[in-house]
Parts: sequence; structure tokens; C-alpha cells
Amino acid sequence: MLFSSPPWDSVVYWALDLETGGLDVRQDPILAVGMVPLRQGIIRLGESYATLVRPPRPEAINPSSIQAHQLVWGEVREAPSVLDVLQAIDGRLREGVLLVHEARIDVGFLKKAYAGCGLRWPAPPVVDTVDLLWKAARMAHFTDPSPAEPTLNLAAARAELGLPAYPAHDALTDAVSAAELFLVLRRKLGAKKLRELR
Amino acid sequence: MAATDPVVYLRGTPPFDSLPEPLFAVASRALEIAYYPAASRLVRRGADPLEHLYVIRKGAVRLEREGQTMQLLEEGEMFGYTSLITNKATLDVVVEEDLLAYRLPRAQFEALLADARFAGHFAVGLSERLKASLEHSQVTTFQADLSARVEQLVRRLPVRVPATATVGEAAQVMRDQHVSSVLVGTEPESIVTDRDFRNRVLAEGMGPDTPVLRVASSRLKTVAAETPIYEAWTMLLDSGVHHLPVTRGKEIIGVITSNDLLKATAQGPVAVLRRVERLASRDQLPGYGQRVTEMTSALLAGGLDATVIAGFVARLNDALVHRILTWAEAEMGPPPCAYAWIVSGSEGRMEQTLLTDQDNALVYADGYPDARSYFERLAIRANDDLEAAGFPRCPGGYMAREWNLPLDEWTQRFTSWTSDQSPKALLRAAIFVDFRKVYGALDLAPFEAAVQRAGRERVFMQRLAKAALDSTPPPSLLLRLRGESSEVNIKTKGITPIVYLARCYGLEVGSERRNTLERLDAAVRAGLMGPDGRAMVGEAYRFLLGLRLRRQLHMIGEGRTPTNVVSFADLSAIERSRLRESFQAIRDWQEKASYHYRTDLF
Repeated sequence: MLFSSPPWDSVVYWALDLETGGLDVRQDPILAVGMVPLRQGIIRLGESYATLVRPPRPEAINPSSIQAHQLVWGEVREAPSVLDVLQAIDGRLREGVLLVHEARIDVGFLKKAYAGCGLRWPAPPVVDTVDLLWKAARMAHFTDPSPAEPTLNLAAARAELGLPAYPAHDALTDAVSAAELFLVLRRKLGAKKLRELR
Repeated sequence: MAATDPVVYLRGTPPFDSLPEPLFAVASRALEIAYYPAASRLVRRGADPLEHLYVIRKGAVRLEREGQTMQLLEEGEMFGYTSLITNKATLDVVVEEDLLAYRLPRAQFEALLADARFAGHFAVGLSERLKASLEHSQVTTFQADLSARVEQLVRRLPVRVPATATVGEAAQVMRDQHVSSVLVGTEPESIVTDRDFRNRVLAEGMGPDTPVLRVASSRLKTVAAETPIYEAWTMLLDSGVHHLPVTRGKEIIGVITSNDLLKATAQGPVAVLRRVERLASRDQLPGYGQRVTEMTSALLAGGLDATVIAGFVARLNDALVHRILTWAEAEMGPPPCAYAWIVSGSEGRMEQTLLTDQDNALVYADGYPDARSYFERLAIRANDDLEAAGFPRCPGGYMAREWNLPLDEWTQRFTSWTSDQSPKALLRAAIFVDFRKVYGALDLAPFEAAVQRAGRERVFMQRLAKAALDSTPPPSLLLRLRGESSEVNIKTKGITPIVYLARCYGLEVGSERRNTLERLDAAVRAGLMGPDGRAMVGEAYRFLLGLRLRRQLHMIGEGRTPTNVVSFADLSAIERSRLRESFQAIRDWQEKASYHYRTDLF
């Protein structure tokens, strides 16, 4: 073992979820951010951070995305700019691990936004609950000879694991949802070190 | 902070639902979410106490003492408050099923305790906690507050006439002042009412010159200003008067009438009593049961305790029996000798909340062998009338039509049951131990003496106690939201064990009271039971009776036949916790009692 990995609950995780104006990382804006920390394995709602983000211009909100996030221009035009928001996020990202459900999308949007504002991406270690769902499915493979594809949708995966239904598509609620899902999957995988979760 | 689901959930969970918004908002900002897999031990007895109040969102925990499960808690239920309040870990808390819990740190919990109603739910003693959950139900209704003081019903100062006034003068004052009664200036004061004018003046052929003192009632039945309205009902029902002077100190500050009390709630016992008094004939009996159900429902919604409601139902049922037997005597001719109509079972204990099967018997004076056929006919008639009024026949046949005997024979039979070893004899003895005379001139002292003797029969008492301990509440671990044991019969598993054991205690200490709570009080006075135990069992009893009544009224409202079976999923989290705690209180008591009666020797 080259590097020792810390016990999983000795590090701080910031669970994060973004609502975006579409799914195209290259051109769609971030419209809302929700973040909640886990310290010693406990989700601290009181420290959560949630904000809307002002997109560069009204047309930036892809009409087909409105159905999902329910955010329209009128709601976000008074919100802080993406630069202000990134500066608020940045301190949190530097505190520990970034925890997301489907890192490909959220981390992609964040990196793009950082670059757009001329900021340096802090490159935190990332834990992705979608990866953990795959890990859990592979583990089940040993006992179940014909495993089904794992359920990857956040709400559906939570339901399968016995977690309560939360309203979806609110950035903070989705971040809390992902954080709870993480706690259950961490237990299911029997992971003791951070390394086993990445 | 945005309204995330955990906060919304907490807001909807009693007692958080009754907190003022600013107080709740501050606390909810400190909310945490914790996840513990099955078999985790959150706290060990004697070790460091918990530092949070936990609300279970998913999963279950066991509270253990020395490896024994004391309680099992599920969704919506709370733990940790004993740690927070006493600063001691008094129990082990072990996760039974993977647990997702929302939790509040100590500081925020303590801030919330500033709210008295919230704090009441976390009182350290079970009896206070149960009380808090009972009192809680009052605030959710729009009904008249029946625990309001009678002085609120007083509309004007009392009207008085001098002691020297004539009936005519008094009548004029009453007419001019629009009142139905006046106080007469004697020392102490007396009262005359418009009924007196009818019954004692006109019907007696007296004139307006009659001195009012000749027809006034002295020795006034009065009620203190701070008496709750529902207690004034009791006095009215018990004394049969229609006017109650209200006193503050020695002074009468006004007179309230049964009409005033009637208006306090149109569905109250005074209203039902009026209808019983006005029943003109037997064909008006149907519908009585329905009216009692409506009254019960209104009183429960008004925040009255089920045990208090039971007292009203008993008084009304008694009034109905009076009416039915008076009719029967009027039609059949006067009885050939003195007799007594007795009720037993829950009616004997004055613990009926909804009408149940008839439990009655008739006893008549010794030495009238020819009286048998009269009383048989009387009993059949009265049983039929009661059935018409809504009391189903007793499937076991404990009705006066089968049980009508001369006093001496009756007493001998009872005594023979107490020494008979058969279960049937024990059952009969137990039923009639709860007897209560409702009507008739016959003195039942010899029978009461036989009941008292039975209380001193060691073998009989042991068998009675054994029967009381046979039915035990299910262990907490078996009571679950889902699955096979998600339903429980709260009569056989909760109410009956208390009633039976209270009966043993009451008999043993020689009490002539029949009511379960009064029997417990007698046991405390005699030193057989500690006041703490009495408080626990008493509150558990009140809670169970109230819970059953609420559920039964609900079933009636849905057009179903009411049963004693409660489905766990239909209960609120607080009710589930209280039910488990009540069961625990019963089991603790049963354990002590089995030691006392040495039932292990059987």
C-alpha cells in the first residue's frame, strides 16, 4: 500500500447538486446549487448552502429543462452571479470530498463554470453515488448469478434501498437525498476507508 | 434554508406540530440526519448519555435493559429525551432495523422545552407523558371547552325575595325578571322554582297567599364558581335538580339552570337526560343508543376524558332503567314485594362508553314465593325494552330474565360460586362482584357482605388473580407497524388486565367501590399499591379507554361495527409510543401482582 487512506468518516464530504438550464455542459448555465456537509458521518442540515444563480441572459434557460427544475428567468434574475456563487462554493470544496450523484454531469458543469470565470478548479476528491451503486451491484454478483442492471436514478435507487421519498429537483433536497444514499451504500459496501469509496 | 423534506417531516410530527413557528424555525436549522445499520448500539446504559433527540424516519430501535427489550420504536417515534433530561443513559438503545433518524442537538431541544405543551410530552414519568398526550387532543377541536368554569354560564345576579313573601309575590317577581327560580332570603338561603309552583302549590290545591317558605327548598345544592362545566353536569344528573346556585366563597353569585348547561353543548348528557325524561312510551326507545353515541362523540371532541364520559353514560343508562321499570310497574301493577335491579360488568363499574351487551339481574325480598311470576314477567319486559333502546342481549345469558331470585337464594348462589373450582363458577362470581344497584327499594346489604367475605377467601382470590394475570399485553418487540402482529386487541390485552387486577385489589382491601380507578385508589389507601404505581396504571387505563373510544367512534363513523382491535398503522406515532408504554406499565404491575398473589404456585 503506497498511501494510507483515511477512515471514511474522518473526512468532510460536501454533497452537491446543481439545477442547470439544460444538459449541455458546453452552453447551458447553472441555475441553482444545493450543498450539505457530512461530518463524522452525520448530515448537518444546519450548515447547508443553497442558492439560485443568475444566468448570463434569459435565453440561456433551455425551455425543455424548465419542466425539471421549474426555474424561470423571473426567479433567477435577482440571484447572485455565477462568480459570486463559485467563490462561496470554493471554500467548501477545499474542505474535503465532493459527493455527487452522477459526477459526470455536475463536475462537468462546475469545471466549465470555474474555467469561464477564470478560476482554478480545486480538484477535490470526488465520490459518486452512481459509482457506488455499480460497486454494490458487482458485489451482489457474487451471490446472485443473474444480477439486474443497477437502478441508477436517484429517487428510484433510494426507494430500492428503503429510503423515504423526497421531492425531487430542488437542488438542496437532491443533495440531501444523495448524502443519505451515500450513507446507506457506504454501509452496504462495508467500506472503511475513503479509498474504497472512490 | 429551503424547506427540505426532513424539516417538513419533523414539522408534521407531534409534538413539533404544535410549536410556534419562530421557535420551530430556529430549532429546525440545527437538524441533523444520521444513519445507523442494524445492530448498532447507540448508547449503553450507565455510559455517556445521548446528546440528541432522535426522531425515527425509517427503521426501528429497541430500548433494552440488561438484554431485555423494554420497548420497540418505529417511524415517527422519538428517543433520547430521557438522556437529555436526566443526563443519564438509563437504557441501551440498539438499532433493530437500519435506522434513518433526524436528530436535534441538546441545545436546541432544551430551547424548545420553553414551550410548555412541547415539554409536557417529554415529562420523565410515564403518567405525566400519557397525561400530556391526552390533554393534547383538546386543542385540535372547535368544540365548546367542557372544562371551562361554570361561572362563565352565569348571566345575571341572583333574583331574591324576602323570607316573608307569598307564593304569588314570588311568582310576580319571577315573571317580571324573566327567571324560572328565585332565592328566598332565609339564613342560609333557600330556593323556589316554577316547578315547585306546579308540584307543591297548584297540584296540592294551595293558593297564591301561601307563604313561599312552605314550598321553598332549603339545604341548597350549590356549585362553586370554579367547578368545570362537566362536573356541574354530574351534580345535576345525580341530584335531579334543575337549578344550581353558583357560589364564590359563601356568596351566591347567580343561578344556572339545566337549560344553561344544555346550551353549553346541545349534545351533552343534560340533553340526553331530558330526552329520557320526556320519553312518553316504549315505542320511543329506539334511537337511545344512537343519541348516547352522538353525545359520547361530542364530549370526546370537547376534550373530556373517556373515564369521565363513562360516568355520564352510566348515569343516563340508570335513568333509562328507572323509566323502563316505572312503566312496567304502572302497567303490571305494584310489585308484590321490595326488589332491586342490579347491573354488573362494565355497567356495574360505570365504565361503559358505548352501549354494550346487557349485564343485569333482579333480586327480590325473601319470603314471597308467589312473587316469582311477577318478577319474571317484569324482567322479560325490561330486558326487551333495553334491547329496543339499543342494549343487545347478553350472549352469555347474564340477564334478569334468567337471573331473578330472592335475596337469600341469590347470596347463597354467589357464595357457592366463590368456593366452586370450575371456571364457569369463577366467571359468574367475577361478573357479580362488580354488581351495582340501579333501581328498587330492596336493601342488598347481605349480598354486599357476601362479596366482602369472598375478598377474604384466599383460594378464591388466588384464582381470581390468576385469571387477571392470564391475559398479558404483547411484548413491545412484537408490536410492529407491518406484518402479522400489526393489530392488537386493546380490550383483552390492555383494558381487561387492568380491570381484572383492580377488581382483585379492590376486593382484597375490602372496598365497596366498583369503578376501576376508585378501586386503585382504595388499594393505595390500604397500602397495597404505591402512589407511583397507581399513577402509571391509572394513566395507562385512561389512555387505553380513550384510544378505544376514539377508534370505535371512527369505525362507527365509517359505518363499520366497532371492535376492540386497533391496527398499529392507524395510530399516530405518539399514540403508538403511548400504547407501548401503557402495555409496559401493565406488565410491570402484573409482575408485582403475580408475586403478591403467588400465582406461580398454580
